[in-house]
Amino acid sequence: MTYTEKKSWLMLVAMLLAYGLYFGLILAGHPAGYDKFAMLWLFGTIAATQAVVVIAGHVWLAIGARKLPPSRVDERDRAIAARGAKISYYILLTGTILVGVVMPFTEPPMKIVNTALFAIVIAELIGLLVIVTSYRRGWHG
Amino acid sequence: MAKPPFTNDIRTLRFMAGEMTQGDLGDRVGVTRQTIAAIEQGKYSPSLEVAFRIARIFDKPLEAVFQWNDASD
Repeated sequence: MTYTEKKSWLMLVAMLLAYGLYFGLILAGHPAGYDKFAMLWLFGTIAATQAVVVIAGHVWLAIGARKLPPSRVDERDRAIAARGAKISYYILLTGTILVGVVMPFTEPPMKIVNTALFAIVIAELIGLLVIVTSYRRGWHG
Repeated sequence: MAKPPFTNDIRTLRFMAGEMTQGDLGDRVGVTRQTIAAIEQGKYSPSLEVAFRIARIFDKPLEAVFQWNDASD
Protein backbone atom coordinates (compact mmCIF):
# COMPACT_ATOMS: atom_id res chain seq x y z
CA MET A 1 0.00 0.00 0.00
CA THR A 2 1.47 3.36 -1.00
CA TYR A 3 1.90 6.31 1.35
CA THR A 4 -0.89 8.17 -0.46
CA GLU A 5 -3.24 5.20 -0.30
CA LYS A 6 -2.67 4.89 3.45
CA LYS A 7 -3.46 8.60 3.86
CA SER A 8 -6.69 8.14 1.87
CA TRP A 9 -7.77 5.21 4.08
CA LEU A 10 -7.00 7.26 7.20
CA MET A 11 -9.15 10.16 5.96
CA LEU A 12 -11.96 7.83 4.89
CA VAL A 13 -12.17 5.95 8.20
CA ALA A 14 -11.89 9.16 10.27
CA MET A 15 -14.65 10.85 8.26
CA LEU A 16 -16.93 7.83 8.40
CA LEU A 17 -16.61 7.57 12.18
CA ALA A 18 -16.83 11.30 12.92
CA TYR A 19 -19.69 12.24 10.63
CA GLY A 20 -21.46 8.92 11.02
CA LEU A 21 -21.69 9.88 14.70
CA TYR A 22 -22.71 13.48 13.95
CA PHE A 23 -25.50 12.69 11.49
CA GLY A 24 -26.53 9.63 13.50
CA LEU A 25 -27.11 11.86 16.53
CA ILE A 26 -29.06 14.36 14.44
CA LEU A 27 -31.29 11.64 13.02
CA ALA A 28 -31.83 10.38 16.59
CA GLY A 29 -33.25 13.80 17.55
CA HIS A 30 -30.20 15.62 18.99
CA PRO A 31 -30.86 19.41 19.41
CA ALA A 32 -28.10 20.07 16.85
CA GLY A 33 -30.76 19.34 14.25
CA TYR A 34 -32.72 22.50 15.11
CA ASP A 35 -30.70 24.68 17.54
CA LYS A 36 -27.72 26.60 16.20
CA PHE A 37 -25.69 26.66 19.44
CA ALA A 38 -26.18 22.93 19.99
CA MET A 39 -25.22 22.37 16.37
CA LEU A 40 -22.09 24.52 16.63
CA TRP A 41 -21.06 22.77 19.85
CA LEU A 42 -21.60 19.23 18.52
CA PHE A 43 -20.11 19.90 15.09
CA GLY A 44 -17.16 21.81 16.57
CA THR A 45 -16.37 19.03 19.03
CA ILE A 46 -16.58 16.26 16.43
CA ALA A 47 -14.71 18.21 13.72
CA ALA A 48 -11.92 19.16 16.15
CA THR A 49 -11.58 15.56 17.38
CA GLN A 50 -11.48 14.30 13.81
CA ALA A 51 -8.84 16.89 12.90
CA VAL A 52 -6.63 15.84 15.84
CA VAL A 53 -6.96 12.14 14.90
CA VAL A 54 -6.17 12.84 11.22
CA ILE A 55 -3.16 15.04 12.07
CA ALA A 56 -1.81 12.41 14.48
CA GLY A 57 -2.35 9.74 11.81
CA HIS A 58 -0.54 11.82 9.19
CA VAL A 59 2.41 12.33 11.53
CA TRP A 60 2.52 8.60 12.25
CA LEU A 61 2.39 7.76 8.51
CA ALA A 62 5.05 10.37 7.69
CA ILE A 63 7.39 8.92 10.33
CA GLY A 64 6.85 5.46 8.84
CA ALA A 65 7.53 6.81 5.33
CA ARG A 66 10.94 8.30 6.19
CA LYS A 67 12.65 5.11 5.01
CA LEU A 68 10.90 5.29 1.64
CA PRO A 69 12.56 6.82 -1.47
CA PRO A 70 11.71 10.45 -2.35
CA SER A 71 9.20 9.44 -5.06
CA ARG A 72 6.45 8.81 -2.53
CA VAL A 73 3.82 10.35 -4.80
CA ASP A 74 3.94 9.45 -8.47
CA GLU A 75 1.80 9.80 -11.61
CA ARG A 76 -0.53 6.97 -10.58
CA ASP A 77 -1.25 8.65 -7.24
CA ARG A 78 -1.92 11.96 -9.00
CA ALA A 79 -4.20 10.32 -11.63
CA ILE A 80 -6.23 8.53 -8.97
CA ALA A 81 -6.49 11.65 -6.80
CA ALA A 82 -7.71 13.66 -9.82
CA ARG A 83 -10.38 11.05 -10.52
CA GLY A 84 -11.61 11.21 -6.92
CA ALA A 85 -11.67 15.02 -6.96
CA LYS A 86 -13.60 15.10 -10.24
CA ILE A 87 -16.38 12.81 -8.99
CA SER A 88 -16.44 14.59 -5.62
CA TYR A 89 -16.89 17.93 -7.41
CA TYR A 90 -20.10 16.86 -9.18
CA ILE A 91 -21.62 15.57 -5.94
CA LEU A 92 -20.72 18.79 -4.14
CA LEU A 93 -22.15 20.84 -7.01
CA THR A 94 -25.46 18.96 -6.79
CA GLY A 95 -25.54 19.47 -3.02
CA THR A 96 -24.77 23.17 -3.41
CA ILE A 97 -27.65 23.66 -5.85
CA LEU A 98 -29.96 21.82 -3.47
CA VAL A 99 -29.08 23.81 -0.34
CA GLY A 100 -28.44 27.15 -2.05
CA VAL A 101 -31.21 27.30 -4.62
CA VAL A 102 -33.98 24.86 -3.67
CA MET A 103 -34.05 24.48 0.14
CA PRO A 104 -34.19 28.22 1.08
CA PHE A 105 -37.76 28.32 -0.26
CA THR A 106 -39.04 25.44 1.84
CA GLU A 107 -36.79 24.48 4.75
CA PRO A 108 -35.75 26.03 8.12
CA PRO A 109 -32.20 27.43 8.46
CA MET A 110 -30.69 24.64 10.59
CA LYS A 111 -31.91 21.97 8.20
CA ILE A 112 -30.23 23.86 5.35
CA VAL A 113 -26.98 24.14 7.35
CA ASN A 114 -26.95 20.43 8.20
CA THR A 115 -27.83 19.45 4.63
CA ALA A 116 -24.95 21.60 3.39
CA LEU A 117 -22.62 19.82 5.82
CA PHE A 118 -24.02 16.49 4.67
CA ALA A 119 -23.35 17.38 1.02
CA ILE A 120 -19.74 18.29 1.84
CA VAL A 121 -19.22 15.09 3.84
CA ILE A 122 -20.84 12.85 1.20
CA ALA A 123 -18.83 14.49 -1.61
CA GLU A 124 -15.59 13.98 0.30
CA LEU A 125 -16.47 10.42 1.34
CA ILE A 126 -17.35 9.35 -2.20
CA GLY A 127 -14.19 11.01 -3.53
CA LEU A 128 -12.13 9.03 -1.00
CA LEU A 129 -14.04 5.82 -1.80
CA VAL A 130 -13.27 6.30 -5.49
CA ILE A 131 -9.60 6.77 -4.59
CA VAL A 132 -9.23 3.65 -2.40
CA THR A 133 -11.27 1.57 -4.89
CA SER A 134 -9.09 2.76 -7.76
CA TYR A 135 -5.99 1.66 -5.86
CA ARG A 136 -7.46 -1.78 -5.16
CA ARG A 137 -9.19 -2.53 -8.48
CA GLY A 138 -6.93 -0.60 -10.85
CA TRP A 139 -7.17 2.58 -12.85
CA HIS A 140 -6.43 3.22 -16.50
CA GLY A 141 -6.69 7.01 -16.62
CA MET B 1 -12.10 -2.58 -13.96
CA ALA B 2 -11.38 -3.72 -17.55
CA LYS B 3 -7.85 -4.72 -18.46
CA PRO B 4 -5.92 -2.32 -20.72
CA PRO B 5 -5.74 -3.27 -24.42
CA PHE B 6 -2.08 -4.22 -24.11
CA THR B 7 0.09 -6.58 -22.11
CA ASN B 8 3.66 -6.22 -20.93
CA ASP B 9 6.75 -8.31 -20.29
CA ILE B 10 8.15 -6.30 -17.41
CA ARG B 11 8.22 -9.30 -15.06
CA THR B 12 10.28 -11.33 -17.55
CA LEU B 13 12.58 -8.41 -18.32
CA ARG B 14 13.20 -7.86 -14.61
CA PHE B 15 14.06 -11.54 -14.24
CA MET B 16 16.49 -11.35 -17.15
CA ALA B 17 18.04 -8.22 -15.66
CA GLY B 18 19.39 -10.16 -12.70
CA GLU B 19 16.13 -10.48 -10.74
CA MET B 20 15.74 -6.72 -10.53
CA THR B 21 13.11 -5.96 -7.87
CA GLN B 22 10.00 -3.90 -8.46
CA GLY B 23 11.38 -1.40 -5.97
CA ASP B 24 14.68 -1.06 -7.85
CA LEU B 25 12.85 -0.55 -11.15
CA GLY B 26 10.49 1.95 -9.52
CA ASP B 27 13.42 3.92 -8.09
CA ARG B 28 15.09 4.10 -11.49
CA VAL B 29 11.89 5.08 -13.29
CA GLY B 30 10.78 7.54 -10.60
CA VAL B 31 7.60 5.79 -9.47
CA THR B 32 6.69 3.70 -6.43
CA ARG B 33 7.12 -0.07 -6.16
CA GLN B 34 3.32 -0.35 -6.02
CA THR B 35 2.96 1.44 -9.36
CA ILE B 36 5.36 -1.01 -11.02
CA ALA B 37 3.33 -3.87 -9.49
CA ALA B 38 0.10 -2.32 -10.78
CA ILE B 39 1.56 -1.94 -14.30
CA GLU B 40 2.76 -5.56 -14.31
CA GLN B 41 -0.68 -6.79 -13.23
CA GLY B 42 -2.47 -4.70 -15.86
CA LYS B 43 -4.11 -2.55 -13.18
CA TYR B 44 -2.58 0.73 -14.35
CA SER B 45 -1.72 2.11 -17.78
CA PRO B 46 1.48 4.14 -17.42
CA SER B 47 2.08 7.45 -19.16
CA LEU B 48 4.11 7.41 -22.36
CA GLU B 49 7.03 8.90 -20.45
CA VAL B 50 7.07 6.15 -17.82
CA ALA B 51 6.63 3.49 -20.54
CA PHE B 52 9.67 4.86 -22.39
CA ARG B 53 11.68 5.10 -19.17
CA ILE B 54 10.97 1.44 -18.40
CA ALA B 55 11.98 0.38 -21.93
CA ARG B 56 15.20 2.42 -21.75
CA ILE B 57 16.20 0.81 -18.45
CA PHE B 58 15.99 -2.62 -20.10
CA ASP B 59 17.63 -1.23 -23.25
CA LYS B 60 14.70 -2.45 -25.34
CA PRO B 61 12.34 -0.77 -27.81
CA LEU B 62 8.91 0.09 -26.44
CA GLU B 63 7.28 -2.74 -28.42
CA ALA B 64 9.50 -5.29 -26.68
CA VAL B 65 8.10 -4.23 -23.31
CA PHE B 66 4.47 -3.43 -24.16
CA GLN B 67 2.49 -5.40 -26.74
CA TRP B 68 -0.83 -4.29 -28.18
CA ASN B 69 -3.51 -6.96 -27.84
CA ASP B 70 -4.97 -7.41 -31.34
CA ALA B 71 -8.19 -8.86 -29.90
CA SER B 72 -8.90 -5.39 -28.46
CA ASP B 73 -9.13 -3.68 -31.89
